[in-house]
This record gives sequence, C-alpha cells and structure tokens, in this order.
Amino acid sequence: MGLLQEIQVPLLAVNDTSLTVVEINFTSGSQVKKGDIVMVFETSKTTYDVEAASDGYIQYLCEADHDYEVNTVVARVYSEAGETAAPPVHRPAINGVAAAPVVKAGPASVWEGETLFSREATRLMTEAGVAPSLFTGRDFVTAKDVRDLLQPASGIQAPKGEPAVTRAGNAPNRLPLPADPQKVIVGKLSSAKKREIEYLGDIQSTGLTSTINTFVETNGIFTHINRSLKHLKDALLPVILYESARLLADYPLLNAYFTGDAIAHYKEVNPGFAIDIDKGLKVLKIARAGQLTIPAIEEEILRLSGSYLDDTLDIDDLTDITFTITDLSSEGVAFFRPLVNKMNSSILGISAIDARLQRCTLSLTFDHRVTEGKLAAQFLKELKDRLESYRAVDTQAALRGVTCFKCLKTLGEDLSGVGFARCITPEGKDGYICQSCLKGF
Amino acid sequence: MLSSKSIINHRIIKEALRIRKVEEKFLELFSQGKLNGTVHTCVGQEFSAVAFAGQLKKMDFIFSNHRCHGHYMAFTGDVRGLLAELLGKASGTCGGIGSSQHLCHNNFFSNGIQGGIVPVAAGYALGNKLKKNGAIGVVFIGDGTLGEGALYETMNIISRWEIPLLIVCENNFYAQSTPQHINLAGDILSRAKAFGIRTGQGETSSPEELMHKAQQAIDYVRGETKPCFFLVETYRLNAHSKGDDDRDPAEVASYAEKDFLNIFRNESPAYYQMYKEVVDQEVDSLVEEILLEEELSPERYHQHEEHHTGNAWTPLETINKRQVELLNAFFKEKIAADEKMVFLGEDVLSPYGGAFKVAKELSFLRPERVFSTPISEAALTGISNGLALNGFKPFAEIMFGDFMTLAFDQIVNHASKFHHMFNKKVNCPVVIRTPMGGRRGYGPTHSQTLDKFLVGIDNVKTVALNTLLDPGRIYQSIYNEQHPVVVIENKTDYGKKIAQQQLKNFVYEHNEDPFPVVRIRPAVSAPTLTIVAYGGMADMVAGMLEQVFAEADHKPELIVPSLISHLPVDLVAASASRTGNLLVVEEGSGFAGIGSELIAAVTEIVPHKIHTRRVTALPVPIPSVKSLENIVLPDKSRILDEIKASFQ
Ligand SMILES: Cc1ncc(C[n+]2csc(CCOP(=O)(O)OP(=O)(O)O)c2C)c(N)n1
Repeated sequence: MGLLQEIQVPLLAVNDTSLTVVEINFTSGSQVKKGDIVMVFETSKTTYDVEAASDGYIQYLCEADHDYEVNTVVARVYSEAGETAAPPVHRPAINGVAAAPVVKAGPASVWEGETLFSREATRLMTEAGVAPSLFTGRDFVTAKDVRDLLQPASGIQAPKGEPAVTRAGNAPNRLPLPADPQKVIVGKLSSAKKREIEYLGDIQSTGLTSTINTFVETNGIFTHINRSLKHLKDALLPVILYESARLLADYPLLNAYFTGDAIAHYKEVNPGFAIDIDKGLKVLKIARAGQLTIPAIEEEILRLSGSYLDDTLDIDDLTDITFTITDLSSEGVAFFRPLVNKMNSSILGISAIDARLQRCTLSLTFDHRVTEGKLAAQFLKELKDRLESYRAVDTQAALRGVTCFKCLKTLGEDLSGVGFARCITPEGKDGYICQSCLKGF
Repeated sequence: MLSSKSIINHRIIKEALRIRKVEEKFLELFSQGKLNGTVHTCVGQEFSAVAFAGQLKKMDFIFSNHRCHGHYMAFTGDVRGLLAELLGKASGTCGGIGSSQHLCHNNFFSNGIQGGIVPVAAGYALGNKLKKNGAIGVVFIGDGTLGEGALYETMNIISRWEIPLLIVCENNFYAQSTPQHINLAGDILSRAKAFGIRTGQGETSSPEELMHKAQQAIDYVRGETKPCFFLVETYRLNAHSKGDDDRDPAEVASYAEKDFLNIFRNESPAYYQMYKEVVDQEVDSLVEEILLEEELSPERYHQHEEHHTGNAWTPLETINKRQVELLNAFFKEKIAADEKMVFLGEDVLSPYGGAFKVAKELSFLRPERVFSTPISEAALTGISNGLALNGFKPFAEIMFGDFMTLAFDQIVNHASKFHHMFNKKVNCPVVIRTPMGGRRGYGPTHSQTLDKFLVGIDNVKTVALNTLLDPGRIYQSIYNEQHPVVVIENKTDYGKKIAQQQLKNFVYEHNEDPFPVVRIRPAVSAPTLTIVAYGGMADMVAGMLEQVFAEADHKPELIVPSLISHLPVDLVAASASRTGNLLVVEEGSGFAGIGSELIAAVTEIVPHKIHTRRVTALPVPIPSVKSLENIVLPDKSRILDEIKASFQ
C-alpha cells in the first residue's frame, strides 16, 4: 500500500521554529506498532513524544541531537518493509534556513468515483465529439474544463507560489574558548543548559539591563495574607503574583519585550514563577493572574508545581509568559540580581525575609531598551506599598462598645459632656443610654 | 414637628446625612464641570434608601433605577466607589463606565431603563427561591414608571409564582418634568392589590415609622416567600437631574420645611453640626483624593480580538434522528441533572411541551425547573436575565421569532450591557431560543426571519441551527458560553434528520470551532462558486448543489456558519478569492442583512474584485397564501436563476 504516515517537525510554540530530536527509539527499517513512541523532540520548554499512527515500518530521515526546522519531514512509516530502504537523511537545517515546503500529492489523480458533467459541458462535448472517458478521474466537469481540454492554452493559471519564509539569522556565534584536555575535563552542555543560555543570553548579552532593589517591611504582613492561604502560609509569592499582575496592567512596558526594532506589548498579563527542584529550571505560567484571587493563585502554584514534579506540564503552562518572578526566599539570600528571560522586559526577584530586621528585598531587573529606571522604580515602589498595606494595623479601640442602645450614638460622638448612663434595656440587658435619649429631644 | 415625636435613631440620621452630602457634592462638582454626564439626586428622599436598602441583609440584593445613589450607599456603604464612579475614575465601582445610573457592587445593580429592571429583579429573586437561601430582594421604581408594561407583566408573575421580591415605589409626584396627575390614572396601591400582592405604605417625613414598616415588609417577604409592594410618599427637593426644575418654588419650599433632616438641623443644631462636619470632612477629602486618580485606560475596557475560523475539518456525521428529537434529548438530559438549568417559556409545560415540542416531557422530569410563563415576552426574558445574573443557566423560549421584538429591550439594554457597563464584574449567560422562518403558511406575524436585528448586539452571540450539524453539540457550546446567546431555530428544520443527503461527488465536513462551520465542497476539483447559507436556507441550498453544478455550470462550495454574529469572514474570503464568486442566501429581507455584512467584510480583505450576489426574501411581510409565500421567500428556482444571471 505504501506510505502510512509522514512525521513532520511540529510547531509547538510560536518561538520554536526548530526543535531538537533528542531520542530515536528504533532503527530505520524496524517494525513499529501503532502507539509506539518512535521519537522524542525537545522544545525550549519541554519534550514531545511522537507515536506511530499505525503498524508499519519506520524510516528515519534525521539524526538524534540535531535541530530540524518546523515542518521538515523527519520520519515516515510504510506498510511494507522494503519501502524504507535507502533513507536520505536530512541535513539538519539550523538557524532559519527554510526547509522546502512539503508538497502533498495532487489529489486530482485519486478520484475513483463517478464523473459528473454539467449540462453545458455535455452540450459542448456532444458538439465536439469528445468522449466522457477522457475525463476519468475527475469529479465534476464544467464547460470550462471541456474548453481547456480542447484548447489547452486557454485559461491556465500559473499556480500562486507562496514565498519561502526566511528569518534573519541569529548573531554569529562566538568562538569557543580553548579547553586543554590536560588541564580540564570538558563536560557536554546539556540541552537544558543550552536553552537556558539562549534564553537568558538573549537579553542579558546586550548588557543593557539594570537592577533596582527595595525593601518591603514584613512586620505583621502575614496576619492578613495567611487568612487567604491554605498551604503556602508565610509565603509572599502568591500575594506578589496577585499584586504585580494587577499592577502590570498599568505598566505595559514591564509586560512587553524588545523585538530588535520595536517594543511588543503583551495583550494579556500572564506572569510566570521560576521553579528549580531537581527537574531543571523552568518558568511556570499563572495565566491571567490579574483576574484570579489570592486563593486561586495559590491553587495554581500548587497545581503547576505538582505537574512540574510529575513531568505532566502542558506546553501551555510554559509559553506566553509575559513577566517573570523568581523567588529565592527559601534560600536565605539577602538580595540578588535576577536575569531577564527571553521575550520579557523585566523580572522580579524575591529574597528571603530577614527575621531580625523584619523586611525582605525585592529586586527588579529590566531591559533598558524597553523601559527605564524611573518607571521600574515606580513600579517597585507601588508594589512595595501594596504589599505593606497587608500589614495589620492596630486600630485603636478606645471608646468602642459604648453606644447608646436607643440611638446608637457612640460615646465618642457625645456632645452633652455628661457622658452616658449605664442602664438596663427593655430587653433586660445591660446597656448605655445617652442624655438626649434619656430626656427626649 | 419633630419634638412631638418619640426618639429617633441617630445612626439613621447620620446615614441620611451622608447620602445628602454626597448628592450635594455631586451637584457642586457638576457645576464645576468636574463631573461628566448626568446625576439624579435623591435629596429629600434619603430615608427611603435607609429604610429599605439599609435594612436588608448582606445576602439580599437590590435593583435600582436612575435615582440610585442613596440606595447604593445605604446598601453597600461604598461611598468611595460611588464618588470615584461618578468622577469617571478607574477605581470607581464600575470603573467609570456605568456612572450615575449603572452601578454594581456585591448584590447591588442599577440600570437606566425605567421598568426594565423589575423583571430582572424578579428573576434574581426567583433564583434565590430556587436556591432556598433565604435571601430576598428589593427593586426600586419611581411613580412615573407605573406607566411601563414590563412592571405589570412582572407583578402578575411574582404574585402567581410567589417570588420573594419587594417592590418599593418612591412616589415623589413627578416623572421628570411631569406632575403625576397628567399621566397617572387610577390608584397606585390598587394596581398591586389587583394582582393579589400585599401592599404597604409610609412616608419619608416619618423616618422611624418608615424604618419600622420597611422592616415589617422585609420580614413578610422573607418569612412568607411572597412579594410585596410598598409605596413611599416622598418629595425630591432638587431638580430631576441638574438644572431642570419647573416646579413652583413655593411648593418646593413647603416640602423643604417638612423635610426631616431640615427639621433636625433646626431642632438639634449641635448634633446636626457635628454629624455634618464628620460627613463633610469624609466626603470632601475623599473627593480631593479621587480627583487626582487615573481614568480607566481604553485597553482595559475593550481590546480588539481577531477571529480565526478553524481550518481542521472532520467528516459530517449523519444522525438518523429529527432535529427536534435531538433538541429535546439535550434539554431532557440537562434538566434532569444540571443544577444551573432552568427552562422558561409560554406553553412549555407537558404534555403540550411548547408550540414546537422542544420542551416535551421536561416538566415531567423536573417540574420545579420548568416554568410556563404568562404571555409576557419582556418579563420572561427579563426574569431569565435575572436568573443568569444569579448563577443559573436559563433557557428562555420565545414561541415565535417574530415576538422577539417584545423581548428586545431585555436583550439590548440588559443582557447585552450588564457585563460591560458593570465593568466586567458580572456575566449574564442567558440563552434565548426562538423559531424563525416561513413556509408553513403562518402569515406575516409568525413567519419572519428577523436575524439581522439580532446579530449586531454587542456581547450577544447569535447562533442559527441547521440540519447539517447535531444541534446537541451546538447547544453544548451554547451552554458553555459565559455571555448571552440568542438561538434561532427553524420551524421547517425541526422535523428533518441530520446530514441525511450526502452526494458522492462532494465532501461534507465541519471544523472544530465551538460553533462549527460546515463546508460542502467538490471531492477533488477546485470550486468555482462560493455559496454561504445558514439556518433554514442551509438545508435548501445543500439539497440543490448538484443542480447548481448541472444547470449553472459551476462547481459550488457551500459554507454554512452556525454562529452568525461572528461570520467566518476569513474562511469565506479565502474561498471567494479563489473562486472569484460569492453568493449569500438568507431567509430575511436583504437590506442591511447578514449578506450585506458578510460581503462588505469579505471585500475589505480580498484584494481583487470578486462577483457578489445576495439572494434574500422580498421586502414585504410574508404572505400566508402558499404561492405568494414561495415567491417572497428565496426558493430553489429563484436561487438558480440568480446564480445563472450573476455568475457567468
Ligand atoms: C424606558 C425609559 N424611558 C424614559 C426614560 C427617561 N427618564 C429617565 S428618568 C424619567 C422619569 C422617571 O420618573 P419616576 O419613575 O417617577 O422616577 P423619579 O425620577 O421621579 O425618581 C424618565 C422619563 C428612561 N430612562 N427609560
């Protein structure tokens, strides 16, 4: 029967125009079963398994540990063993060389059903003595089809080719530093590390970032916050996500990125928080945090961290993050300089709470090509104010409780200068009564 | 005089004073040009707000009208949000979008359409009754609103269905400029009594007594789960809105003398002064602070969204059941199991089950969730809106599409606007279903397709069913919607089975959008004519594609949208730019119709000229007599003739 499945490099995230093949699970020519994982791609965020769609024989057109452009055909599954012979392995296309578009076989040749003729087509054919069998393989035949057959030159349209999409190449790679095997042991960079370098290098390598810091007074801050939290008691992350997501709506430049010649503002505010517990550094998205309550944000944090640990993250949990928060508070740091992620313009770092000084440092690194210190400082100040507003204030409760049972006037409001009289209310309870209610107006 | 009366609670004086202060502040700000739009102040009427709005529980709710500031403050206590709202600031209770007449906070709602809020309030109250949560509600109307029909439709229903709603009619003897005697016939309380509704009466000039009577009325409504109508005699001391006062100054002065707060000022100047200073200080400093604030940025109010039609196609599934059976099955399943589900409409009780039997047996399955309404399209739609605001998923049936006009205010001024005018604090996921279309000889008022009047309503989706897709699938998507949806069913489609006729030489497929688009295209050839048809016309056009090919010498591609308020312009444009020919068939008349909109949108994005044509109903009421009805509505032979004439 022939070709059963063509595996192309999938487009998993807008930014990943090429993916790495990290695993090839069979050798070319092997038999595969429907549902077998035949290969694994790695995106900038996660991995992606490809399954065989049916039983057959696999032919690989790629090699492990190489990058391939999206849409490149990297494997095929055939029904017969012989068909997989002589696989022409693709030269990996790296850094934006567009792969040739995959041309699907023209369908015109596969119609095996009845051919229908329009009335006008039939008339023309009768007139010109054209046999219907000439149109075998067509579904419909109009007068124009008949005329095209009789005068092939007429009406032929040049197919409209789509221009190949090309992308500006990345900056030339720097030469690697020498590594003398006598003096050093060279370890291979993991793909995760490579990605990390690309991600953080994108912005930091220009050197145009700057970091500003502020203190948040934390004395009494958790009295209120903990009321909204179920599990993450004494943690600032949920409330910082909550407040900064709301605040970012007013700071579009911090929810944006530098495209190279313009500033792209995200339409949504989707902050992410960085996580690194044994499974590599990842940033997880709290989608539309600006519309979530603190308990909902806490729930999201827990859900995402769970998925991170179980390796069940969705690509959607990792993409389109518009602002990043990195929380090193559990590491006891006093302050640090966070690095801005690719396609972000800023990142907020949370340091540990200093138990003695009752405060904690917030650090904001921002891309100077997008915004500047004044605005970043304003943002940080406003965030600080918002966070500090959670601190419990001891409202003085001096005269509270002394209220005229009749007119509900409080002792603080009394003008008589005589004060209230203690009394027994008609319900038999202890109470107070003011002078005017006692005597009438 | 005050001194002859017994003791008055100072708390309510302070509350009334605060309301008065805020109202006077608004007038002051208005005269300084700091306030945009309009205000209707309640100076003189404050105690009505304090007595009713002020004595409700937190879980209760209020619907109010244009003169709502006092009600708002007494119920929510949110003076700051109100001030900021009228000053047009982002921190206002509705971000400055709603302003004076459109407030929403916790369970408080106001709207500027006289009478329109009454059925919505009834629906909200019905929701509480279904939830058995013991909450009740108050709806405020003015005496001028006694002229509105929706009020009486609703009074009939709340009495019959024992809905715990307290209607408070604030009788200030004027409607805008018009004294009551010019417009009001008969007696006010007799109106409510005629519906069997308990009534009450009080005056703002005796606040203690009014407080007491209000509490009694509230207790009655809550305790008995029954409606009540309370008439408050009062007088507004300021103009209707700003400077528009033609009343006799002597009359106004005489009422000002009787005004309780004025009397209190004269008799207890020291207390008055102290309380006044507190509210003055509170309100003035709030205003100073608020004046410096930002207004809502346009992006936070509206952001353009691109609509992309899905381009992954799945074969159409033939279903050997009639459309009406599938509709009925969907509703049966939902009504039996779904806690949010409510079904309302005229004659929907079983065994009758609605004029077209969509509701068959629903009321047997769950009688408490199926409401047969009186003939009252405005009220039943408004009640559905209120249920939707209260967390339910109401499906309202309007017996014939032509009657949608009677529900129009509830769709356009209520369901459509709530979400945005309340600055996205609420959603109103109401569904209004109705059959449209002719070919059954029902004549001018029972046959028309009025979809073009519905598709342009902001934030309301309009869906047209067809015989190519499982209606249950579409209704599941409708069920999932968070905003209002109007569904147009087609009378002649009810009896047809789904995707029955599938010709070999065509491919029948649909995309995976929530409201799928159906496409029927030649099996292998490139099409030469793009046809768009929807609703009842889709069935007719799908059934004549072979004829179009044979006789008009065109290979047609038929595109059938089901969501007609957001047409698949990109898809149609892509097809039409390839074929160069675009025909739109609709059952309503053509001027300013769906075809006009679609063709305009397509030609905006197709760079070269395409040939276009609309086939529509003739612009006359649909005749009953069969021969004429077939001429007025588009039929196969007219469609064919138009194709032959327009697309050579
Ligand atoms: C449906 C509708 N018609 C007309 C108006 C314009 N309008 C606004 S207030 C008003 C007078 C209302 O009088 P009444 O109900 O007595 O309330 P009052 O102003 O006396 O408090 C009118 C005619 C409106 N807002 N809505």
